[in-house]
Amino acid sequence: MTDSGETGRTATDAVHLDGITKRFPGVVANDDVDLQVERGSVHALLGENGAGKTTLMNVLYGLYEPDEGRVVVDGTPRDFDSPRDAIDAGVGMIHQHFMLVDPMTVTENITLGNEPERWLGLSIDRERAREEVVDLSERYGFDVDPDARIEDVGVGVQQRVEILKALYRGADVLILDEPTAVLTPQEVRELFGVFEELTAQGKTIIFITHKLREAMTAADDITVLRAGKTVGTLGAADASRERLAELMVGREILLDVDRPAADPGETVLDVRDLTVEDTRGVRAVDDVSLSVREGEVFGIAGVDGNGQAELVEAIAGLREVDGGAISLGGWDATDASRRDRIDAGMAYVPEDRQESGLVMDFDLVSNGLLGSQHARPFAENGRIDWDAAREHAEEIVAEYDVRPANVDARAASLSGGNQQKFVVGREFARDPRLVVASHPTRGVDVGSTEFIHDRINDLRSDGRAVLLVSSKLDEVQSLSDRLAVIYEGSFVDVVDPDAVTEEQLGLLMAGEQPDADVSVGEVSQ
Amino acid sequence: MTDDADSGEAAADGGETADRERTGDGLGAGLRRLSGRLLVALATAALLALLGVAAVVAPESSVGRLFGIVVSTSTLSATLRLSVPIVFAAIGGIFAEKSGVINIGLEGLLIISAFSAVYGADVTGSMLAGLLIGVLASTVLAAVFAVVCIEYRADQIIAGLAVWLIALGLAPFASQVVYGSPNTDSVGTLGTWTIPVLADIPLLGALFDAAPPVYLMFVTVAGAWYVLNRTAFGRWVRAAGENPRALDTAGVDVSRVRYAAVLISGVLSGIGGAALAFNIGQFTGNGPTMVNGKGFIAIVAYLFGNYNPVGALGSTMLFAGLDAVQLRLQTRQILGVPDSLVQTIPFVAVIVVLALVGRTRIPEAAGEHYESGEE
Repeated sequence: MTDSGETGRTATDAVHLDGITKRFPGVVANDDVDLQVERGSVHALLGENGAGKTTLMNVLYGLYEPDEGRVVVDGTPRDFDSPRDAIDAGVGMIHQHFMLVDPMTVTENITLGNEPERWLGLSIDRERAREEVVDLSERYGFDVDPDARIEDVGVGVQQRVEILKALYRGADVLILDEPTAVLTPQEVRELFGVFEELTAQGKTIIFITHKLREAMTAADDITVLRAGKTVGTLGAADASRERLAELMVGREILLDVDRPAADPGETVLDVRDLTVEDTRGVRAVDDVSLSVREGEVFGIAGVDGNGQAELVEAIAGLREVDGGAISLGGWDATDASRRDRIDAGMAYVPEDRQESGLVMDFDLVSNGLLGSQHARPFAENGRIDWDAAREHAEEIVAEYDVRPANVDARAASLSGGNQQKFVVGREFARDPRLVVASHPTRGVDVGSTEFIHDRINDLRSDGRAVLLVSSKLDEVQSLSDRLAVIYEGSFVDVVDPDAVTEEQLGLLMAGEQPDADVSVGEVSQ
Repeated sequence: MTDDADSGEAAADGGETADRERTGDGLGAGLRRLSGRLLVALATAALLALLGVAAVVAPESSVGRLFGIVVSTSTLSATLRLSVPIVFAAIGGIFAEKSGVINIGLEGLLIISAFSAVYGADVTGSMLAGLLIGVLASTVLAAVFAVVCIEYRADQIIAGLAVWLIALGLAPFASQVVYGSPNTDSVGTLGTWTIPVLADIPLLGALFDAAPPVYLMFVTVAGAWYVLNRTAFGRWVRAAGENPRALDTAGVDVSRVRYAAVLISGVLSGIGGAALAFNIGQFTGNGPTMVNGKGFIAIVAYLFGNYNPVGALGSTMLFAGLDAVQLRLQTRQILGVPDSLVQTIPFVAVIVVLALVGRTRIPEAAGEHYESGEE
């Protein structure tokens, strides 16, 4: 580890944050944080959710004023009052949620607020704006249609538009907040290619992430933050996943879990020849059969959008079935209501916690009640026992380490990772026979991911059945006992997750059969 | 990452499919939006054609006489006259709502300016001064609305209704105090500006033989379209209503843009209200006052026109045209339908049109407060 305070290369540094402290009521978000970023390099800011990464970058971008410390850009101490000042000093920020106007075109978005004008400002010079955007994207090798509407292009392109927007405003230092969170693996690689192109032309990039691999792949240097403090700065070459994980979390993390062999019991979930149409009437799930037994984790891997979402929703009772049958412990649940399925012992962790897992404006007491609001011990004769509900929410918060530990807080006020922990906690607390978990660790930091994985393993050893869908390969591979690969609505194969390699899985996910036979045959043993 | 190469390919496929689908959705939604409006336009044209054919076949039948009423210079001229206040209010409403502030108080702005313009003209003896005073009154009321909504984060719908109710009470009350009656004295009407030669064209001549506000209306429609679509300010207005944070991070003050847009709605509604009052030369304040729902019809007009000033003009002409026909039908007794039923024609049309149009694309952030620096 290099002691960042004594490297003494301030003269060539594009950015030097010196002893930054930022306090919010009741919290010290940044506590004497140092960060030095060399010009023309890619610097990863690594840390768990709530470690103070975004706060630190908001200080650099002028959104927050630091209580203590100095911001030095290009060797000049700066005092930013607003993002405008930061932009003028050549610092641009690409937020996690894109700041784009959907019905406007790429060009209109890039030039917004800085429109080239003619006729004494009576008109926007649209030709010049378009030319400038085309020039800019060519210079950095971006493939962007200047006339496309934002709402018609994918997230990868939208992100490039955001980067162009910053460059258009003359940014030399680009800050990206969790830039890979919304991208497919392919788009992530393209983004890292963009990083190389930009640094080759002398731009400096700081990106925030909590993904170890990304930091190691894309960055030259990695600074790790933990609980608002700088833990250290490493060259990417000197870093290992284990070392970084330990720095981030402050204790040793078991990235690979050993666990006892499966001892499956009776079949809990049995799905036969299931066919499901998506919202547009296109067949999304095509003749899928599977079964999950007690004490077994059945994993489904696949690239997002291959029918996993529809399959899971059909099983959970949120989507109508167009053919086939679903049975839950021998009971025909094909057309059963959501409530009947819950009562029959099905817990469900939805893919999108904010859309279908929580009511964002409710507090945690009410959110903890969701799905059980009709049942004892929370409800009797149509009246809700709020004391029991509060106690229940407090238990979830304590057991799953949800922060802040305040059940009166609105769900919206929690960070994404804490929202997810609460949803997982609520569902696992149902004493379920079957857990249907869709992307249970999406957007969750390393420490919490490990925790959720442990809980899933507990469920398994406790004799519950678990259906796990995830786009994270290492996750489905390490947790599942049998692993199905879904492609365009059908299972390509069902494999033994311990025997299959990531290359073979990758081929299967693309709908191809690898040369070596990895199949464990029959889908529903 | 060892799986990059393999899964990457599949991911790329997935991504492209998603993109295509998104584009498809956009197109589909666009077609659906278009079809509702197209349907109304086609139905109107078909109805007129049907009437026309019937009129040629049997000029003396009631259908034939109906056609004579619908397609006539005087009906067109009445349509234009009736359109003026609605179009001005609608364009004002477009600016406000495009910027993210739903101004449901257009009706109130029309009322306050109709009275103020008459009072101003009465006191100063000048119609022009009256117009300016009407515009001033409406703009001041709009400014109050803007401060309450933007600075104090009041609910825009409630604040807008308050603007209407304040004007609905204040204008007749002021008239009562000054003139001893909810109706003011007459200050005379505006004459017409007749453009030689063009005014003699059959039917369309009505376009060139109209009161000054009618000409101003056309200029305003064109100007508003230009400002919204071709100037930086217009782009900021749209951005403020769609994604204010994007505008804010681009270094433009969202509140200032919204204030400007709401004030514009005040100025334009002021012109509309004054034109309405000068059309008959006095302010009448009984019941719903002389404005009588025109501010609300303006909202329907710009929604039907999909926030496009030209579209708002077109839909207003449809409603105002029906109103003009209805006024003339009352005096003719052609179909033997009671007057009170005939009077409902424009309002029935509004409901039918709204049902047909289906979804209008409302600005994403319309009705939402925006505070800079809020995380």
